[in-house]
Amino acid sequence: MTARSPRRILLAMAASGAALTLTLAGCAAGDGGGSADGGPVELSILIDDTDVTIRTVEALISAFEAQNEDVTIDVETRPGGAEGDNIVKTRLATGEMNDLFFYNSGALLQALNPDQTLLNIADEAFVADINETFLAGVSTDNGVYGVPAGTAMGGGVLYNTAVYDELGLEVPTTWDEFMENNEAIAATDVAPVIQTYADTWTSQLFVLGDFANVLVEDPEWAEAYTANERKYAEDAVAVRGFEHLQEVYEAGYLNEDFASATFDDGMRKVALGEGAHYPMLTFAVPTIVELYPAESENVGFFALPGDNDENPLTTWLSAGIYASADTERPEAALRFMEFVASVEGCDVQTEAVAPAGPYFVEGCTLPDDIAPATADLLPYFEREGGTAPALEFLSPIKGPALEQITVEVGSGIRPAADAAALYDEDVVKQAQQLGIEGW
Amino acid sequence: MLTLRKNLIGIVAIIAAIVVFIVPFLFIVTTAMKTRLEASLLEFTWPQQFAFFENLAEVIAARDFMLITAFINSTVLTVVSVTLMVIFSAMVGWVLQRRQSRWNGFINFMVLAGLIIPPAVVPTIWVLQGLELFGTLPGLILIEVAYGLSFCVLLFRAFIATIPRELDEAATIDGAGPIRLFFTVVMPLLKSVIVTVIVVQAVFVFNDFQNPLYFLPGDENATVQLTLYNFQSQFNTQWNLLFTNILLITIPPLIMYIFFQKQIVAGLTSGAVKG
Repeated sequence: MTARSPRRILLAMAASGAALTLTLAGCAAGDGGGSADGGPVELSILIDDTDVTIRTVEALISAFEAQNEDVTIDVETRPGGAEGDNIVKTRLATGEMNDLFFYNSGALLQALNPDQTLLNIADEAFVADINETFLAGVSTDNGVYGVPAGTAMGGGVLYNTAVYDELGLEVPTTWDEFMENNEAIAATDVAPVIQTYADTWTSQLFVLGDFANVLVEDPEWAEAYTANERKYAEDAVAVRGFEHLQEVYEAGYLNEDFASATFDDGMRKVALGEGAHYPMLTFAVPTIVELYPAESENVGFFALPGDNDENPLTTWLSAGIYASADTERPEAALRFMEFVASVEGCDVQTEAVAPAGPYFVEGCTLPDDIAPATADLLPYFEREGGTAPALEFLSPIKGPALEQITVEVGSGIRPAADAAALYDEDVVKQAQQLGIEGW
Repeated sequence: MLTLRKNLIGIVAIIAAIVVFIVPFLFIVTTAMKTRLEASLLEFTWPQQFAFFENLAEVIAARDFMLITAFINSTVLTVVSVTLMVIFSAMVGWVLQRRQSRWNGFINFMVLAGLIIPPAVVPTIWVLQGLELFGTLPGLILIEVAYGLSFCVLLFRAFIATIPRELDEAATIDGAGPIRLFFTVVMPLLKSVIVTVIVVQAVFVFNDFQNPLYFLPGDENATVQLTLYNFQSQFNTQWNLLFTNILLITIPPLIMYIFFQKQIVAGLTSGAVKG
C-alpha cells in the first residue's frame, strides 16, 4: 500500500500536467477557420426569434445574396428577453459570437461593452446616410457600431377607431381629454383602457411613453437624471406617468381580466373593439396586421397625452445589426451592413414586414398602403419637436424592476408616489454597476 | 362498509391523478389541434377547426427540419451521457464503499462539492475551448456527465453498502480479477439502483434546457428542448405550434415509460427501501 501511493501521486501529476498542456495547446491553436479564396464566404448572423425579426432578416439576406453571389449568410436564432441577453454577453465574452448579430440599440447595447467587443464602423461611407438620432443610440465616445434594422417605433396608445366613430370621440391631445373619452367609453360595454399584466413588460408604457411630455417641460431631464440630479419621486413632472396609471385603475377603466390578460389578448381586444385604448409600442402593428388583416384597418395610434398642449410622441429606436470584433470576414460583414443601411435595404424590409414607422436611413420612403396606425405615426415625425427619444436612448440607466413596480401601481397595490420612490431605489444599483459618476 | 371506504379513497386518488396529470395533457392535445387564432385564446375547449396535421407538418418542417436533427442529437446526448454516468458512478461508488484509504475524505468532499457548488458558464466555456470541445456534442456530453455524476455516486454508494462483502470475497477466491468482479458480479446486483439512476438522469438530460443553450450553439446542434423556442418568443407565441412541439417531445419519455414500467417501479421502490 505505502509503496503504491507515491506512484499514484506521480500518475495523477502526469495526468493533470497532460490536461494542462492540452489546454494551453488549444489556446495557442485557436480557430484557424476562414474560407479559402475562390469559394463563397460564409457568414453567420445571430438574431432573436421574434417572427418579425426573422422575416425581416431573412428577406434582407436573400436580397443581399442575390446581389453578392460570393457571400452566403446563415441565420441562427436565440431566445429573447433576459435569456437572450445572457447568450449574447456569454458569446461576446468567450469570443464565440457569430460574425453578425441583431440586438437592441441604446442602453442595452452599452451594456455589451461595445468598444472592446464590436467592430467599429465609424469610418465607413454608408454611416453618413444613417439618421443621427439612431447613430446616437449605437455609438460610444470611441466609435459607431450598428446599422438600423427595422423602423422607428412610437410609444403611445393604440386605439380602436370604430369605437371612436361610434361614440363621436376626438383623438385626445391632453390627459384630461383622454380621461373624458374614457368616461364616455366606460358607459358602453367596451373597456376604456386595456392592460395586460400576464406579460409584465406591457405595464411600463404609461411611464416610459410619457417621457416626451417630461422633456417638453424639462429639456435637460435625461442628462440631469444620469448625473443623479433628478428623481422620479421628487419630480412633479416625471412622477405623472405613475400617477396616470393609478388614475385609470382607480377610475375602473381597465378591462376586467387585466391581471391575467396577455399581450396577445391586448392586441386582439384593441383590434376587435373589445377595448378602446391599448398603451403600446407600434411594433405591435405588424403582428396585428398579420393576425387580423381586416380589423387592423380600425386600429389607429396617438401619442400618450400629457398635461401640456404640445402632445409630443416618445419614440423608440429600431434594433441594430452589429459585427463582432473577432469576425474573420470583416469585409463581407461590412458589405452586408452597407446593404442593410441602403434605400434598397429599406424596400426589402417593407416588402417582408408591414413597417411600424419611418426608417432611419436617408432617402427611405414608406409605401402608400401602410396600416392606419403606422400612418398616424408619421405626422409626429414631420412636425418640428413632434418626437423625442425614450429615456433608455438618452440615459444608460434603466432599473430592472420597473415592470414589476408598474404592475403593482396598475393593480392598485401600490400608490404612485410610493412606486416612484421604489423605482428610484431600483436604479441606484444599476447606476452603481455601470460605474456612473455621482451615484 | 370498509370496502366502500377503501373504494372511496381509491376513487379520490384516481380523480386527483386525472386532475394533476391527464388534464394538462389533454390541454396540450387540444391546443395542438387548434388554429393559431383559436389557440391564442388559451381556452380548454374542443377545437372548432381541426388543424392538427397542418400544425404537425409545420412543426416538423420548421427551420429546415430542425426537429429531426434535434431528436437525433437529444437521443445521442441522453443515451451516451447516461451510460457514462452509470458506469463511472458505479465504479466510484464501489471503490469508495469497499476500500478505505486516506483519500476517501477528500474524494467525498469533491463529490459533495459537485452537488453544492453551482457551475459557472463562462469559465466552463473557457475550459471547453481549451480542449477544443466547445460547441460539439462530446463536449456537452462531458458537461452533463460532470453535473450528474455526484448525485449518482451518492446513490450507488448507499446501495452498495447493502451488498454483502462476502460476495466479493467469494468471487475473488474463485479467481476473478477486479474488472471481472465488478462487471460480472457487482453490476448485476446493482440492477435496481441502475434503473433508478437511468430514469432520473435520462429525464434530467433529455429535459435539460440551460446547458445545451449555452454550451452547444448553432442550429445544427439543437436539442429538442431548444426547438420550443422556434415557436415562442418574448413578445409573440404561436401556441398551437408550441403545443404540437411539446406533444412530440413528450412522446419518447412516454414510450420509454410504457416499455420499462415494471423495472422503473421495481427500481424506485427497492431504492427507496434499501438506499
